[in-house]
Amino acid sequence: MSKKSLAATAISAVCLMALTACGGNATGSTAAGQPIVVASVNALSGPVTFSEASQAAKAVFDKFNADGGLNGRPIQYEVLDDKSDPAAATAAARDAVGKGAVALVGSASLLDCEVNSKYYEQEGLVSIQGTGVDPNCFSTPSISPVNSGPYLDSQLTLTYGSEKLGLKKICGLLEIAGSTRPAYQKAFDAWSKATGKTFAMLDDTVPYGAPDFTPYVVKAKEAGCDAIFSNGVEPDASGVLKAAEAQGMKDMTFLFLTSAYSEQFAQAASFVGKGVYVPAEFSPYTVDGIAANDDWRELMEKNNIPLTSFGQGGYLAATHFLETLRTIKGDVTHETVAAAFKAQTRPSENAMTGTPFIFGAGDSHSSNTAGWPITIRPGSTTWESAANDWMTVK
Amino acid sequence: MLQGAFAGLAAGGVYAVIAVCLTLMAQLVRVINFSQAAVGMFGAFLAVSFAGMGVPQVPAIALGIVVGALMSAGLGMIIATWLPEASISARSAVTVAALLLLISMSFILFGTKPKTFRAVFSGPAFTFQGVVISQVTVVMVILAVVVSVAAKLVLGKTTIGVKLRAIADRPVAAELLGVPVKPLAIGVWAVTGIIVGIAIAVVAPTQTSDAVSLSMLVISASAAALLGGFKRLDLALIGGLLLGMTQGAAAQFSQLILLRDWIPLVVIVVFLLWNQRREVWDAAR
Repeated sequence: MSKKSLAATAISAVCLMALTACGGNATGSTAAGQPIVVASVNALSGPVTFSEASQAAKAVFDKFNADGGLNGRPIQYEVLDDKSDPAAATAAARDAVGKGAVALVGSASLLDCEVNSKYYEQEGLVSIQGTGVDPNCFSTPSISPVNSGPYLDSQLTLTYGSEKLGLKKICGLLEIAGSTRPAYQKAFDAWSKATGKTFAMLDDTVPYGAPDFTPYVVKAKEAGCDAIFSNGVEPDASGVLKAAEAQGMKDMTFLFLTSAYSEQFAQAASFVGKGVYVPAEFSPYTVDGIAANDDWRELMEKNNIPLTSFGQGGYLAATHFLETLRTIKGDVTHETVAAAFKAQTRPSENAMTGTPFIFGAGDSHSSNTAGWPITIRPGSTTWESAANDWMTVK
Repeated sequence: MLQGAFAGLAAGGVYAVIAVCLTLMAQLVRVINFSQAAVGMFGAFLAVSFAGMGVPQVPAIALGIVVGALMSAGLGMIIATWLPEASISARSAVTVAALLLLISMSFILFGTKPKTFRAVFSGPAFTFQGVVISQVTVVMVILAVVVSVAAKLVLGKTTIGVKLRAIADRPVAAELLGVPVKPLAIGVWAVTGIIVGIAIAVVAPTQTSDAVSLSMLVISASAAALLGGFKRLDLALIGGLLLGMTQGAAAQFSQLILLRDWIPLVVIVVFLLWNQRREVWDAAR
């Protein structure tokens, strides 16, 4: 029995007990008119969970409803679970359509885009994705994510490592899920083309959730690398650090992605070699004095939602959605909402991202192309800013 | 290659410790305990929670291990009470349920994020011909050897060992002779719970520390125990160490990706074929 299926079985058991928590519910509000239904498809249970994006979007909608909604019409936000399982994701998308959703907002999922992008297109729905992961999030006409995604993130972190930190030999430990390999390759090629640098060693066979990453970090050491790039999510990135610590790799620098950016990760990092570097996809919330996050932080704290990048994505998706919703004259249906987003020509500015959000008419959307470099320095257990401004790549 | 093999030795040590415990349980209480590693995981997660409440590190770990051992004993009591005469498959099936229960419970109680384990041992111990051997590797290999030697001595040279062998071979006869079958069986569950608890507490800070990864160590350990046919402690020990080293060495070659996760399975199949080589077809079916 594979680890994933076992985890799924275990979590289904939990979900059965907490069925109500895994489903969505309508929001009560002071706006009492005919509700406008909005949905999101999320990884709420399964091997990886992103729950904060939809919680943050819900908090934005609750506030909007409390302030009277859209001319007295409240947003009814349906949060659906895809369990990181293609069949459940398909069912969730149909459920959203069945409930009469006018758009998908703040979804955070490993496979929603890959499984459902064609269906959304066919139904004439748009999705303002809170956390887009799979390549289809950034290459289909019906979906526009607010985040920059793991591929651009990889290009950013590699560029920062080779150009700003002057690292000479970068080794890549790459974990591949589904059909993501070509999208990563495109990002690596773009990095090589712009900087003339290549990997000293790239292992794209690193398993997800390996119990022990020692054999892989040893490989990087054997190749004589001075930096390790890894696209692992939090547990795996911390596994890489632990293995490097056991091997005494004090001179190694670690280049990770936003998926490793959380306060818990920094607290757990008892060892970071010469430092961990991450290009945060949204304004870093662990760094004091960044006013861009004030409204988001206040809303999260008021609703007891953990502060994470996923929460920032959900908040931004809901905020951009409401901005466009207010411009719609007449009926609010999925057709008019989709038309309003596809007709968008003026980007929505928000200081939480380095580049403004836009949906627009194109066949693919990836408006967020910036990252804010942050770091955990040796001996520290907190994230600090490693730059004064956003970095972007061509 | 050599570096990779040594890199896998820490994992091999864990497999070996769990494999030895699995063999002991199969021999003494007729159970393949699939929840063996999960019990250790649960104890380790509890230790992190206790440490979060301000309990000092060593007592927190000890407390976690004790709770884990008690849970193991509880499971042993259930099986000894309600399934004393059941087949080994039926008794083992209960432990699969326990495995799923422990994973689910840890998700509910501790969340799905990996835990911050403060390391008892961390960093390199020494360098051998350019190969770094970590402290955890040294501790795990020593623990594996000590556990298997101690188990061998206890079973072979002590009165309690004789009684344990008696309840394994002839539980009814042993009971008629006045051997306390149930308490001894529960004792075996508790002791293996403690041993695996210690192993996981040592190794968790250097591994991917989420509930599923730690609980699934039992799969590779089962493959290692199969080498000794769930009968021989020495082969379980060697099997565990070899399996870890093979996986570590295989990770050095990208071409072997397909084979990497198959190693435990290949070991099992080859062993079974070898083991069944003298069986006639009808009997082996």
